[in-house]
Amino acid sequence: MPDSETSETSDMVVTGLGVTSSIGQGKTAFITALLAGEHKFDVMKRPGRQSPDGTTAFFGAEIGDLTLPDTAPRNELRTASLSAKVALATLDEAWNEAHLSDVDPKRIGLVVGGSNFQQRELLLTQQKYHNKLDYLRPTYAMSFMDSDLCGLCTQTYGIRGLAYTMGGASASGQACIIQAIEAVRSGQVDVCIALGALMDLSYWECQGFRSLGAMGSDNFAEDPGLACRPFDRDRNGFIYGENCGALVIERSKTATRTGVKPYARLAGWAMEMDGNRNPNPSFEGEVSVIKQALKQAQLSPGQIDYINPHGTGSTIGDETELSAIAHCGLRHARINATKSVIGHGLSAAGAIEMVATLLQMRTGQLHPSRNLDNPMAADYDWVRRAAVEHNIENALKMSMGFGGINTAICLQKY
Amino acid sequence: MNNILENNMNKSDIFSTIVEHTREVVFELEDHEFKQDDSLKALGANSIDRSEILMMTLESLDIKMPLLALAKAVNIDEIAGILHARL
Repeated sequence: MPDSETSETSDMVVTGLGVTSSIGQGKTAFITALLAGEHKFDVMKRPGRQSPDGTTAFFGAEIGDLTLPDTAPRNELRTASLSAKVALATLDEAWNEAHLSDVDPKRIGLVVGGSNFQQRELLLTQQKYHNKLDYLRPTYAMSFMDSDLCGLCTQTYGIRGLAYTMGGASASGQACIIQAIEAVRSGQVDVCIALGALMDLSYWECQGFRSLGAMGSDNFAEDPGLACRPFDRDRNGFIYGENCGALVIERSKTATRTGVKPYARLAGWAMEMDGNRNPNPSFEGEVSVIKQALKQAQLSPGQIDYINPHGTGSTIGDETELSAIAHCGLRHARINATKSVIGHGLSAAGAIEMVATLLQMRTGQLHPSRNLDNPMAADYDWVRRAAVEHNIENALKMSMGFGGINTAICLQKY
Repeated sequence: MNNILENNMNKSDIFSTIVEHTREVVFELEDHEFKQDDSLKALGANSIDRSEILMMTLESLDIKMPLLALAKAVNIDEIAGILHARL
């Protein structure tokens, strides 16, 4: 968490990225599709995503064919969940880019963001064995736990430092980045991978989110591509997206391995609770984390030239976030909504959106915001219909979660 | 192979079922020529692999019994013998 040790935190950098999403696997495919505003929103087809009685037609953006790395252990993959396979594929890209094979395995850690993220797999198992429990596969006792991802990833890559999962609802992806930073800063490890896990929703969770009013309705049943519309006047909830992001975090002094080129400096970060179990956002909480992150980064609001917001498409959530941004003097910054292109990854959101931010920083371009036809507030510097050139010097990324979780991270060009 | 309920199934059929599931669980044995006295453990199947293979075999044969009852079998032939007696 932010404190007076700004000089100590100023050398934290990101040296590797991995990404898997509906619009592409790998950084090149992902940023290309993101800048083009391509999307895969449709009625979801993966088994377990729709009610067996045919009464649901939940929208979402699903991953197509997944390419697994050669290092993935075939025998283990047979019983690995979709979240686990996607984690392996995503981690592999970040691992190779950061040349982690050249690092002492005992000095590498892994923090997986998310909890209860294999719900669809659990449902399918329960459906398959509900009349023949005696034959339930013994490996279910391993794979039902989220921490199975830690076991699979650490076995595959030989990671011998710390590894655990941590839940922070829709802020999990950003919260695991903060935890990874702290693991490096405290000296527990020299390098830590933060991985926002793919949240694998079943139709039960979709129904729950829909009933709660959090997930978008059927208003756009004729054209699911129009349903995901953060910050637009016609938004009415988030639209789910399968995705996963991984970041390699270390101090700049260790990022000297051949071929390693840091993306950006992690200049400031903050996490603060509202003391509220419910899903409703808090203006005060969001303002507080923004201010803390800016202070730790030693940046004035005027120096922030890009914001990657939480921006889910929630009626109240988007309003609250824009109010917090305005109150903090950040209305001038360019802003787009990554979820409008890839959907809401829930546990993965904060991590993959941080990847999107860093890739935009490196390419010098900002992606469009899909369906932002009538912005709910005109006096923000939206990137709307097409990608634009923009040199990001200092970026702010926000993520919030049910249960009163607020997080913010400031990035600075390296 | 699912739910083989033929009471006249012999040990050789059961052996083949075990082999099929072993190949499914341990990919390295895809091309292995299995023999009656092959031990799953000696072939590289760890304890988790063995429990999976045996559970899949029980389901295919429609036999309900605790996996513990198969723990003392030292090779595939002995496993097949125990299972054959339960048909």
